[in-house]
Amino acid sequence: MNLLNIPYIRYSLQNGLEVILYDIKNVPLVAFNIWFKVGSANEARGKTGLAHLFEHMMFQGSKNIPKEMHFKYIQEAGGTLNASTNFDRTNFFEKVPSNELELPLWLESDRMGFFLDSLDQVKLDNQKSVVLNERLERYDNQPYGLAWEKLVSNLYPYKHPYNWPTIGFYNDIKSYTIEDVRSFFQKYYSPANSTIVIAGNIDVNKTKLLIEKYFGDIRNNGTQPEILADDPHLAENKMILFEDNVNLERIYFAWHSPKAFSEDDSTMDILADILTGSKNARLTRKLIYELEIAQDVNAMQFSGKYGGHFMIVATAKPGNSLDEIKNIIFDEISLLTEKNISTQELEKSKNVIASNFIYSLQNIDTIADLMNLYNFYLGEPNSFNYDLKRYTSTNEENIRQTAQKYLLKNFVELKIVPRSSNAN
Amino acid sequence: MQIDRTKRPLTESEIKFNIPAVEISELNNGLKIFFSEKNDLPIIRINLLVNSGSRFDPEKYKGLSNLLTMCIDEGAGNLNALQLADEFEMLGAQFSVASDCDISLVSLQVLSENFIPALKLFKSVITEPHLDKNDYQREKRKVIVRLNQVKIEPDYIADISFERFLFGKECPYSYPVLGVEKDIENILPQNVRDYYQQRFTPKNSSLIVVGNIESKSLNKILQDEFAGWGNVSTLNQPQLNLRNLQRKVLIVNKPDSVQTEIRSGHLSSKRSDSDFFQKQIINLVLGGQFSSRLNLNLREKHGYTYGINSSFSYFKEAGYFAVSTSVGIDNTASALKEIFSEIKKIKEGLTADEISFAKSSLTRRFPSNFETYRQISGNISNSIIHNLSDNYLETYVQKINSVNLEDVNKIAADSINPEELITVLVGDSKKLLEQIREQEFGETIVLEFDDVFSN
Repeated sequence: MNLLNIPYIRYSLQNGLEVILYDIKNVPLVAFNIWFKVGSANEARGKTGLAHLFEHMMFQGSKNIPKEMHFKYIQEAGGTLNASTNFDRTNFFEKVPSNELELPLWLESDRMGFFLDSLDQVKLDNQKSVVLNERLERYDNQPYGLAWEKLVSNLYPYKHPYNWPTIGFYNDIKSYTIEDVRSFFQKYYSPANSTIVIAGNIDVNKTKLLIEKYFGDIRNNGTQPEILADDPHLAENKMILFEDNVNLERIYFAWHSPKAFSEDDSTMDILADILTGSKNARLTRKLIYELEIAQDVNAMQFSGKYGGHFMIVATAKPGNSLDEIKNIIFDEISLLTEKNISTQELEKSKNVIASNFIYSLQNIDTIADLMNLYNFYLGEPNSFNYDLKRYTSTNEENIRQTAQKYLLKNFVELKIVPRSSNAN
Repeated sequence: MQIDRTKRPLTESEIKFNIPAVEISELNNGLKIFFSEKNDLPIIRINLLVNSGSRFDPEKYKGLSNLLTMCIDEGAGNLNALQLADEFEMLGAQFSVASDCDISLVSLQVLSENFIPALKLFKSVITEPHLDKNDYQREKRKVIVRLNQVKIEPDYIADISFERFLFGKECPYSYPVLGVEKDIENILPQNVRDYYQQRFTPKNSSLIVVGNIESKSLNKILQDEFAGWGNVSTLNQPQLNLRNLQRKVLIVNKPDSVQTEIRSGHLSSKRSDSDFFQKQIINLVLGGQFSSRLNLNLREKHGYTYGINSSFSYFKEAGYFAVSTSVGIDNTASALKEIFSEIKKIKEGLTADEISFAKSSLTRRFPSNFETYRQISGNISNSIIHNLSDNYLETYVQKINSVNLEDVNKIAADSINPEELITVLVGDSKKLLEQIREQEFGETIVLEFDDVFSN
């Protein structure tokens, strides 16, 4: 479809900074989106969570921007902004009225070039405290909040870069020093290790001049060698039982699965949809509608640069056992590996996915982030049609074979149950 | 190009922006239609707003509105629940039903090429739902388990306990949308059917359409599909029984917590009242965004929290002011002290710089509230729910701009009432009582979550 063809201009500055521009005039807005090619996978043992700390530290000011002023300038201009960190990358983004394009360029270039000039112990101590609170609020104090951490640390080997959670371990967060921050910044926050996408109502030539003006003189600190990570595999099934402050028992399964955009990655997404994507999806129908033994069930394919895993998560209704749910889940998996899904099931999934591609074009900032994502994983920002085709080109037989290839292998099983002292 | 990094770049000339036009019409059965054409993508979004929410739940049937919205798409016309879901998905349509305390919302997003068949399904759910006994029982069991599940979620406990104490048990807004377990047990299938007949009527609803279609053909389609919808009924308007309170601290004991969830606030004016614009400015400065006083103090200065915010919340018939955050248990008293002090300070007034920041932020952000189909339909919905004037959106920027320092500070003095702050703390009561001095933040009462709705 033509709508999904997003024309762009891509080039690099002398210092290695990659730039992608997309000019579209339907809204009076412009989105600035930068990916630094550093995520929690780049961290060292004992200093986990450092990449995520940067999501915070980068808002603490730089040589010409006082602490907190980054937010204030953008919000005063009517803009919105945020940042996020995952295993593979850290992104920062602003959306501003199109007459304020220069503002994010000024702010972003100052912290890329001159962050260290204003770094101090007070700022670091403050943000360590904020991140420790974030960890408590979003993970430790949430029912089932530690599930992801338990899963990845059991699924990926100790030496694999996906073995720890992005937020980092509590004691690691406490241990960061100024020197840790300084050297991490010098290693990873280099122009040559990042890509900027600017999308929206822009004048391309003028934008190019502005980018050169703000980013052209930032020193290139080079790039880091690729992480070496062996493809993970499980020698045997792992069963983990974890007691937590929960009322209902929940079971998680995780299998190793394809990496992002590699062969079969999209097919795993379709498998997840066939299992739990709708009311009449196989596991949902069975567990929630027919047997009513689960309160919820979800399947998802997670995939990154160095690994992927397919998860199924179900919460038992009171009085029902996780093992009963497990049996149903494995029955349905067997069925998927033995018999092709129906043409109708596949068509339904494909229609939902194809429509979602169009729906996702409503936000200019979503488009900018997707262009950076495609550029990062595929080397081609305009991969919307390519991406959609990964889904529409699969067939029933391929789906069965893919289920066979990944879901019959060893897995991690995690049960989260109420603390025994609270048990009735 | 020469660069001086010490100075903020200049803003280029003003941007051009037009507010989407909205056409309003009405079918013979009283259904009001609000339409805004938007053609940049082949998408149509349609929302049905029904005046039906937990506020209208009858005595002893708290949770009825929510249960109705859970049941309403479990089969309609000649399709059962699963077939109905399949049909929507075959069309690539996103369909959902939800309910809050004032409104039930049925919404659909679909590619324009599939609009007519998806609209037929949408209409079927609204006008001919099965509300079948088996589906009802399954959904009812789901809610009861859900209630069991949420009562260990600290943020949920804090939110609903706060509204409970703020509004008081005589006020319908004091009940959670999900309802109360013993009431839900009492609800019969016939109650759900009767309630549907009463509330899902064309006169009690508004239909909002935003998208890639011409007004003429849309009107014909809507006439064909909805003119025959004939439910009529008389509606009750529940009494609100609002009363102002004296400072009080309610500790909801959760001994296993590693943090304390804090809510603190008091009743405030309604959304349609004329102090809305001033309150928006006050809130932005106090706790409505990252560089607010509260966030700079509690997060960026003291590191007590991952984030803190304040808001003026608006229900259809009531409003309240509240501060919300989550802090490490040991810092609870220190955090409360800072929160109370910031609330007291904002009552004393804002600075001219703060006001000009807030005005700039609100007015310049305005165009980005119209980017997506959902945002536009949301803006229209908001105007309907709160009876805002027809030119509300057109005059928004001008209204904000016309507010001055004196106006804002007068409203700050009038609308912030530190003596009325109701504070809810969800956390380990033993550790909390060790820190909180008698009467420091008001009379302090400790209770268990199970007792919140039995008092």
